[in-house]
Order: sequence, then structure tokens, then C-alpha cells
Amino acid sequence: MELVSGREWHDRARELHDGNWQLVDLTAIDRLRLIESDPRFEVVVQLVNHETKERMTLHVTAEGEPPTVASVTPIWPGANFFEREVYDLMGIVFDGHPNLIRIMLPEDWEGHPLRKDYGVGKVPIDFVPQPLIQIDAPGQSPRNDEAAIRLDRLGQAVVEGDQP
Amino acid sequence: MSSHDMETREINTVDKLAREVEARGHGAFVESYDPRDDRMVINMGPVHPSTHGVLRLMLELDGETVVRCLPVIGYLHTGMEKECEDQNWRGAVTIVTRMDYLACLFNEQVYSLAVEGLLGIEVPPRAKYIRTMMAEMYRLSSHLVWWGTQGLDMGAMSAMFYGFRERELLLDFYEMVTGLRMNHGYFIPGGVWEDLPQGWERAVRNITSQMPKRIDDYENLLTMNPVFLERTRGIGVLSSDQARAMCASGPIARASGIDWDLRRDAPYEAYADVSFDVPIATEGDVYARYRVRVAEMRESVKIIEQLAGNMPSGDFKNMDPKIMPPPREDLNRSMEAVIHHFKITTQGYKVPAGETYAFVESPRGELGCYVLSDGGTSPYRCHVRDPSFVNLQTLAPMVEGGLLADLVASIASIDPIMGGVDR
Repeated sequence: MELVSGREWHDRARELHDGNWQLVDLTAIDRLRLIESDPRFEVVVQLVNHETKERMTLHVTAEGEPPTVASVTPIWPGANFFEREVYDLMGIVFDGHPNLIRIMLPEDWEGHPLRKDYGVGKVPIDFVPQPLIQIDAPGQSPRNDEAAIRLDRLGQAVVEGDQP
Repeated sequence: MSSHDMETREINTVDKLAREVEARGHGAFVESYDPRDDRMVINMGPVHPSTHGVLRLMLELDGETVVRCLPVIGYLHTGMEKECEDQNWRGAVTIVTRMDYLACLFNEQVYSLAVEGLLGIEVPPRAKYIRTMMAEMYRLSSHLVWWGTQGLDMGAMSAMFYGFRERELLLDFYEMVTGLRMNHGYFIPGGVWEDLPQGWERAVRNITSQMPKRIDDYENLLTMNPVFLERTRGIGVLSSDQARAMCASGPIARASGIDWDLRRDAPYEAYADVSFDVPIATEGDVYARYRVRVAEMRESVKIIEQLAGNMPSGDFKNMDPKIMPPPREDLNRSMEAVIHHFKITTQGYKVPAGETYAFVESPRGELGCYVLSDGGTSPYRCHVRDPSFVNLQTLAPMVEGGLLADLVASIASIDPIMGGVDR
């Protein structure tokens, strides 16, 4: 097990990618009720090397409010769904992710259920009748600078200079 | 009529058409339609016969060509990972088994391997053999459903009937062993819940003697069928670089030339004791995935035969009274057995603090389970890396630039199980 700080994660991931390491799994843990609860959020990454058949586990610490880690989707495109899932259920923001929106829960869901302080059974379940993804409308993005993000017809964030 | 009038009329017609499409189709099928650039955004699913459950795809179409494809998932999300945190270690088996419901025993197996890794306990050889044999049967029955639905989606209606007919043989065997036809809760940390019943050898022989002939029949029906070839060869191509980039695993990766099978490359349970081949193809199209899966079915039959022939005798579960309830007859004579039974059924057992990641090769690829224990009686965090969830990302590179009609072939060849995708 290797501990990586959130700031170094992007460079470390690039290094591992160039060294033939393949992403297998990316998830997160909330250490709130563990004895060592600082830092609270950690992203747990499993890697495999198909040539040497070795495996590796990395813990990436997510600091700040909201907890933030660099996204590795530009390095391993398959990390896309994993990071969206972790964002959705654990509330960790992946900096540099092309389309960080909720994946499992409705767009208007409040809170992140896999957090240990999420009130299970205490939160009223309320589905607001709205389309899941708003087409041709400035949509809600998870970040604070939401006004700056433009969504296209599939509800994806548009990167400037990227023409469909 | 002047050219100016004609232009105005054309614009009016176009606007009217766009309004009409929006009014008629919005929300149900057509999400948006811009007649000026011929692009249309349509919804496929979440209730569509070829999307294998509740998969919803948002498609941007240029005529019949798919320009972009975006899977929208979460319709079957029930928070199973969170539910596991409220169960005891034994009870969480009944949650994870419901994830990938066509290959439930693999979920139980990977969870059990993870918990056994944390407990540091031995699993008796007979339990390992039973688990491996049952898991291989599940690979067969899961591939049979895939074969049937792949054929059905390509218009071969009879494929569904034949695939499900043989699946019935296997389901009958599961029922005989576990009492249930799916979601068994049969593999538990430490072994299996019950021993194989009397007469299991005959039932297994019945399956292994029938299946090769049946697989020949399937190949006669589809493998060289000109219609099937036309609809699958060169369709939904996924290059090996794309497969690697998208973290694909299982038959999808192997059909794109990635020679990686956990049963051979990281043998777990009893796979070190059996010999089998790992089918590989390099074309990366729907037909290559078809051939890889059909070849895998033949290999599974071989593995089942070898395991059933060499089944060791002895315990079928670890009999440590601290983690396994004592046999029923002991409760009548031993006070100690009653205490152990009471502790395990009311509180459950404790697992030493630590984390582990276990993995198995499920019919769809690498099924992983990350478990974190805080030393208590229930998992602190239980995460399942489901191969359908990851492999679904390969759909976009497969279908973009292809025809809409070929999309269903690609979906069927990914074989996503939405219970596993959404968890």
C-alpha cells in the first residue's frame, strides 16, 4: 500500500501509466469512524501490470472542502465512470474531470450517501419531477463556478475549442 | 413567387417541423431535433427491448449514423454497497449476490475471498473445488443467456429458446444444490453453506455430456450463418488500445487481443489444478466477442469435468466455531456449541481491522471486491468493482460512427447486467 497526497497524484499517475500500470479500480473511503480519521477522505486505487502480473494499491488523500483530488480520466479514460461514482456517492471532487456529474443518483439529490455521517433512513426521499438532464439549457454543474460551464445537447460539459 | 417568399416559407416549414417533433416526441423518444444540421438527439431506453434491462442511451444521430453515444445509468441503483455496511459479515453475502444477478455466485465468491483474506482462515480443498465448479457452471449459464440475447437481438428468435433450454439444466442443478435458482447465498466466508447433495455426480455428468453437443448445435445455427455474419463481422470494432484505455476486461478485452485471464494469470481457488485454454481473438468486433464467448463455454465444460472427477473429500467449510455456526446435532449436547451458535446468529463474528482487494474472473471480466474492516462485526466499507460497469464505457468507442441498427449488436456483445452496473 502506497500513500500519495492529492497534489502529487496526477504526476504519480502519469508516471505509473507510462510504466505500463493499468487502472483496475478506483473507489473511496470515509475514515470518519476509524481511529485514524485524518485526513477523512481517501481515494483507493487498484492497479495491475499485465506484463509482470503485479498488483498495487494506492491511497490518495483528498483534502479541502469539498475534498479534492486530481482527476486521472485524461490519463486512463476508463476512470471516467469510477470518478463520477465516487463524486456522486462520496462527494470527492475530481479536478480536471471532463464531465463530473452524478451518475447513480438523480441530478437533484442532496448529499453523498456513502459518507459515514449521511443520515440513513432519516432523509426524506423526494423526487422532484424534472428531466434528468436538461437539454439546451445551462445545467447544474457540481462545481461552484457552474456559470462558467456550458452544457451541450447530451448534457456534457463543452470544452472550449472542442467542436462536435 | 419571389425567391424571398420561398425562403421565408421554407424557414416557416422547418420551424413548424421542429416544433411538431419537439411537441410530439419530447421526453419520450426524441429529446431534441435541429432540422438545420440534420442532427437529432434521441433516447434509447431505459425501457427498450434491446437495452438489456434499464440501460438508457442518449444518442446524437446524423440520419442513421450514431455521432455520439452516452450511457445514462443509475435506474437500478439501490445502494447495495451502503446496505452491506449495516449487515454482519455473513449477511452481506446476501446483498452482494444480488448485484450481477446472472452470475450471482461470482459475487459471493469474490466477497468471500476478500473476507477470508482479512480473517486469515484456510478454506478446505473440497470447498474450493465446489466453489470453482459451481462458478464455472455459472459462467456457462451466464454465457447461455448472452448467446440467446445476442441471437435474439440479431433477429434469430430461436437462439433465445435454445439458450434458455440448456440454462434450465444448470438452474435445476443450482436448485438441487442450494435450494434456489438464483441469488443463492451459498458461498460464505470460510467455505460453502451445504455439502453437495447425493447424486450430484450424475447431474454433473448429465450436464457435461450434453453441453458439448448443444454448443455444436449453437454453432451450426449462428457461427456460419450468413445473416449473422453480415450483422456482426466488422461491427462495433474496439481496438486493443481502446480496450486498454477504457480498462476493459473479460471477453471484451480478449476479443481485442489482450491476453489476460485471471483464472490463468492469477490462479485463485482450484484453477491451479485444472488445465484449460484462454480463447483470444484480435479483430475486436462483435463476431470476435461471439467466438471468444462460445469457445469459453467449451473450456468451462472441460473445467467442470476435471473438477467433478477430482473432487476431494473432507470438510466443505472451515469448522472454526468462532466464525461458523456449529452443526445442528451439537446444539443438543454441548453448551459450548449453543454459546457459539448464539454469538454468531445474534452478533456475528469480528474481522480484524485491515483492508483487502480480492478479484475473480467473472463471465464479464474482472470482478473485484474491496473490503475495509474496522475490527467490528460488519464491513466498514464494501466496494464491488463490477465488470459490466467498467465495460459499459467501451460502448461509445464501439458504436460512434456506426449505424443505429448496429448499436443493438454492440450492446448485446458487451453483455451488460444492469444490476451490476448500478448496484
